[in-house]
Amino acid sequence: MDRKITPVSKIFLVIIFFILYAPIFFLIFYSFNSGGNMNNFEGFTFDWYKELFQDTRLLIIVLNTLVVALLAALFSTIIGVMGALGIHAARRRQTKNTLLSINNVLIVSPDVIIGASFLVLFTMAGIKLGFYSVLLSHIAFCVPIVVLMVLPKLSEMSPTLLDAARDLGASRLDVITKVVLPYITPGIFAGFFMALTFSLDDFAVTFFVTGNGFSTLSVEIYSLARRGISLNINALSTLLFLFTLILVVIYYFINQRQQKPVLGGRK
Amino acid sequence: MANAIIEFKSVTKQYDNDPPVLDDVSFEIERGKFYTLLGPSGCGKTTILRLIAGFTEASDGEIYFNNKITNHVPANKRQVNTVFQDYALFPHLNVFENVAFGLRIKKMKNAEIEQKVKEALSFVNLEGYENREIREMSGGQRQRVAIARAIVNEPEVILLDEPLSALDLKLRTEMQYELRELQRRLGITFIFVTHDQEEALAMSDEIFVINKGKIQQSGTPTDIYDEPINRFVADFIGESNIVTGKMVQDQLVEMVGKRFECVDGGFQSNEPVEIVIRPEDLEITTVERGKLQVKVDSQLFRGVHYEISSYDQDGNEWLVHSTKKAVVGEEIGLYFDPEAIHVMRFNETEEEFDKRLEAYTDGSGHGK
Ligand SMILES: Nc1ncnc2c1ncn2[C@@H]1O[C@H](COP(=O)(O)OP(=O)(O)OP(=O)(O)O)[C@@H](O)[C@H]1O
Ligand SMILES: [Mg+2]
Repeated sequence: MDRKITPVSKIFLVIIFFILYAPIFFLIFYSFNSGGNMNNFEGFTFDWYKELFQDTRLLIIVLNTLVVALLAALFSTIIGVMGALGIHAARRRQTKNTLLSINNVLIVSPDVIIGASFLVLFTMAGIKLGFYSVLLSHIAFCVPIVVLMVLPKLSEMSPTLLDAARDLGASRLDVITKVVLPYITPGIFAGFFMALTFSLDDFAVTFFVTGNGFSTLSVEIYSLARRGISLNINALSTLLFLFTLILVVIYYFINQRQQKPVLGGRK
Repeated sequence: MANAIIEFKSVTKQYDNDPPVLDDVSFEIERGKFYTLLGPSGCGKTTILRLIAGFTEASDGEIYFNNKITNHVPANKRQVNTVFQDYALFPHLNVFENVAFGLRIKKMKNAEIEQKVKEALSFVNLEGYENREIREMSGGQRQRVAIARAIVNEPEVILLDEPLSALDLKLRTEMQYELRELQRRLGITFIFVTHDQEEALAMSDEIFVINKGKIQQSGTPTDIYDEPINRFVADFIGESNIVTGKMVQDQLVEMVGKRFECVDGGFQSNEPVEIVIRPEDLEITTVERGKLQVKVDSQLFRGVHYEISSYDQDGNEWLVHSTKKAVVGEEIGLYFDPEAIHVMRFNETEEEFDKRLEAYTDGSGHGK
């Protein structure tokens, strides 16, 4: 970047980040408070964390959340990649645009509406609310995200690459497994991680479709917070924050690895 | 024909309701020769290659490969490999794996693959580059990888779509030699696409000149250069002076109000014709000795020669290539041999043209 960052914009940036992150750090800070409230800091303690780890119900919920997120990310990546391949293969421009618009509508429509409509669907279809209903709905709202991450990679790929593979004797399946998939791998990874984070921190949709006896972290935190302030929540949120931070770092490094060639390569 | 490896019979290619991209094209490709498809942008060269390779299907007509109809054979089942204009190397594979791609598909043994890839890379002078990534290769090297990737499969035909267009002049000339040499060594049929006429003349056994989806003329480089069939070919291949005139009788043509001896025949008397004289066949001389009298309008130094533009009294432009300098504004004479004149009939098809040429060069008589 050539343009200099002026001191004013630097300060502005710092203030913005401060405002954005202050509540989180505030939360983290009080998770170590022995005082039991967020008004005054009495002393340093790990008690809340200990309590957290002794709470088996909570641990099961954490496990549930992770299982749902991983499965949802996995399935939505598979479905999303196939969808992207389908949209990309559409011959007519109009078909392509229509499919893409349908995809985008799902991304921009409010979670509440998606959640409510899933609730209606599941009750009408007679699917019991619980693990499967949550998983299904998570897969459903993750698929469009994966499609959106994978499609640009596909359209960036030169069509002669496919001709070249066919020319060298590759069957249609070979073309996909040996050329297309390796080419769009960065997009697939990006889609997977996006789906993972979206599923992990989804509240609204999940809130509608969890039944009795099944809950995810975000829903659980919400109900804890409603019952009254306990620093348990702070500890839990801190751990969640660290976890997403780790995800972001992993994602960053994967991205770096794949971008290096582009940066290092000469045109 | 026994030796024909590819044959197009009245092939037409049309997209939707647009005018046809290829219009009733027929030709034969013989085994082991170097062919060039030459023509302006958009004339259908790439389309012909895509039809041969099987990336697209003909709307009408038959395409034969080894005397068998191949219209509906999928691309991966054809004994043809392509060097793409943009190389189309796989960016996620290194040089070795790019070249090995076709062999791996064929499930060849690793040891054999290794040996064949090494061999192919040494063919294109890229030994020791096996482990390079594609992005680490220069344009010319990438192109050679693309060629190695095609020849390693030992196809019967290699299609090359303007593979040299991205290279600088020096590298390009070098690659022209290398390609031609490679083709001789391997004995594989090459079909080469270019819109550079010099490249076509330098490399080919046979040239197809294409315009607007039709083959205008096919023949050896000298045939096409010396005996262009019509104005388009004469203009497209090399520089030329083209004027209209009429054929008084065989071996006597009239242009710019004068009669000249020539060597063409097989015309009706007083038939209107077009006359081509190549700039290098014109010789500058004094006004008295010249067959044509012209006034020098401008001149350009082209390195090997001067390109002199001059006009006769009728306003026809005459380009002259001369190693001697002329003086702008001066009246000069132009001298040329009867052999330098080439006479073209209007709207003559290639068949008629060939027949006529045969008739009068055999000495079997005038105007049949
Ligand atoms: N998929 C397509 N749909 C419609 N028209 C097409 C398609 N592909 C090619 N054409 C048209 O066919 C004509 C010939 O194209 P082609 O690619 O064969 O030209 P070319 O001789 O290779 O030209 P160039 O030298 O520019 O590469 C062009 O007018 C082009 O617009
Ligand atoms: Mg082309």
